Amino acid sequence: MQKFESTKQAEAVFGSLFSILAEDEAFTSALRENDMTVRLLHTKPECRVYVSADAVELGEEVPERSTVTIKMACDTADALWRGELMMPSAVATGRVRIRGKVAKVLELIPILQPAFDRYADIAGEHGIAGGK
Amino acid sequence: MTSQDAQDLNFDDFPPEVRKFRSTVREFARDEVLPRALKNDQDAADAFDWDLVQKGHEIGMTRAIVSKEYGGLGVGVVGVALALEEIAAADPGVALTFGATMLGQAPVLLSGDTRLQARFLPLFSGDDVVLACNAVTEEDAGTDLVLEQSYPHARNVTSIRRDGDEYVLNGRKRFITNAKVASFASVFGNLDGYPGATGLTCIMVPLDSAGVTRGAVADKMGYRNCLGTEIHFDNVRVPVENLVGGEAEGGPINIAQGNMARPSVAAISTGIARHALEVAREWAGSRVQGGTELWRHQMSARKLADMAAAVEASQLLYRRAAHRVDSELPAPAYEPAVAKMFADRTAIEVASTAMSLMGARGYVKSYGMEKIVRDAFGSRIYEGTPEALALTITECLYEAGDEDDPFE
Ligand SMILES: Cc1cc2nc3c(=O)[nH]c(=O)nc-3n(C[C@H](O)[C@H](O)[C@H](O)COP(=O)(O)OP(=O)(O)OC[C@H]3O[C@@H](n4cnc5c(N)ncnc54)[C@H](O)[C@@H]3O)c2cc1C
Repeated sequence: MQKFESTKQAEAVFGSLFSILAEDEAFTSALRENDMTVRLLHTKPECRVYVSADAVELGEEVPERSTVTIKMACDTADALWRGELMMPSAVATGRVRIRGKVAKVLELIPILQPAFDRYADIAGEHGIAGGK
Repeated sequence: MTSQDAQDLNFDDFPPEVRKFRSTVREFARDEVLPRALKNDQDAADAFDWDLVQKGHEIGMTRAIVSKEYGGLGVGVVGVALALEEIAAADPGVALTFGATMLGQAPVLLSGDTRLQARFLPLFSGDDVVLACNAVTEEDAGTDLVLEQSYPHARNVTSIRRDGDEYVLNGRKRFITNAKVASFASVFGNLDGYPGATGLTCIMVPLDSAGVTRGAVADKMGYRNCLGTEIHFDNVRVPVENLVGGEAEGGPINIAQGNMARPSVAAISTGIARHALEVAREWAGSRVQGGTELWRHQMSARKLADMAAAVEASQLLYRRAAHRVDSELPAPAYEPAVAKMFADRTAIEVASTAMSLMGARGYVKSYGMEKIVRDAFGSRIYEGTPEALALTITECLYEAGDEDDPFE
């Protein structure tokens, strides 16, 4: 059973999560310095998030091009943000796929910490519980 | 799977850092590697040119793939592959000495584990050369440890068992490049309790650990300027912090590492083929028979043209594959396997044709072509035989594509 019931619910969770990062100076300046934009293509259900140093956009109409594109199922994203699934093993097993400047993405992971810290609360607020 | 985002890579115009690195390596290959290649090849199987390897270290060959943060050059797989082509065009054994070191580093790089990276990667940036190796192959398990579908069939694989804060290794690895001369090995063993190699686990093992014995150097037909050796693990204990990824998660790391390495091996094969073409071109340009230079005879011309086309095609395939590996996680399986299968075959065919153009001189050691032919057969064995690559490629051909997938 997948945890996320609708695109709307997924957008609410991942949209809030990235809005927190968008307010984090370390995160936005890292994006700006590396001239980087990130597109997250969640599946099951479909949920597209586009993140740049200036804005977080959601939905079908997000820009088609970005310097980095990350694709994963919503449940995979949930497990990652909760710290239940480690990024390297998710990538090695193909549960997370990344296109773009691979080396840059790996450097970004440590500065995502505020999102890791807040994820469980945000998910809970939108009716997504922890566990399987 | 098929053509997609090669649009931002101009194959004739690499980033400035990569171009600079390649030109430094080209000089090293021409001035240091090539002049010693024939002599070193004829030395005893266990002779090793430390002085040459130290010089390669000084220009960054042991840390090319390591990120700048850890003292490396960070030139990516494209930069590494271009460099290995240059060295292989002088001596593929020397290229593999550096390539095998990068293979030993690869699991740590792929793990994304910053603690492991901070412990191991800076060690390659000191004044003195440090080498690593990657230990997969065993007596009873060769291709069984290359193809994931064969893991359940692998027999007698090196065992790994946890004991408190340590892992204990027992087993024997074979044909491991650099094992005689390396300080560290990334070792793939099977975790106790899993059948075959289904519990494959990767651990970084310092080779001065108690219980490690390095065996005799294999007396190889080619690639004689790198050393392939057995390593025995007899109750070798390593701290749990040396685990790469998780327990029983070595399988995907091994596969990812292979996909990451294949463009570079294809580059080595391309270098071998290029060298054969260069020597044959020179010879056919000056040797006169039937009243004219050999290259003016139509049949020789055809041979040279076919060789040139194959070398060009190999270059394009490995460069595109390397670019894909630099821009995709997990590394794709298809392009690297295609590039390696094609380039390995090109090396053998071009070397053989080049030898034929030189007549008896192609068959005599002192002219160098004989060594190129022997070396040409080496690359198709490691990092995937043609049969293993064919299975991987064909699986990709039959993989169900998703038309709506923006990655497809
Ligand atoms: C120059 C050189 C350097 C090397 N360096 C290293 C190193 O650094 N580290 C390391 O771990 N190993 C290294 N090796 C070993 C190499 O990786 C193995 O030799 C290789 O994986 C093949 O294993 P094998 O020799 O046991 O042959 P086998 O696996 O016994 O294969 C023999 C033949 O059977 C075919 N075959 C096997 N299984 C199948 C199958 N399922 N379907 C179809 N055909 C199959 C193979 O393609 C091959 O033609 C090196 C080898 C060489 C020559």
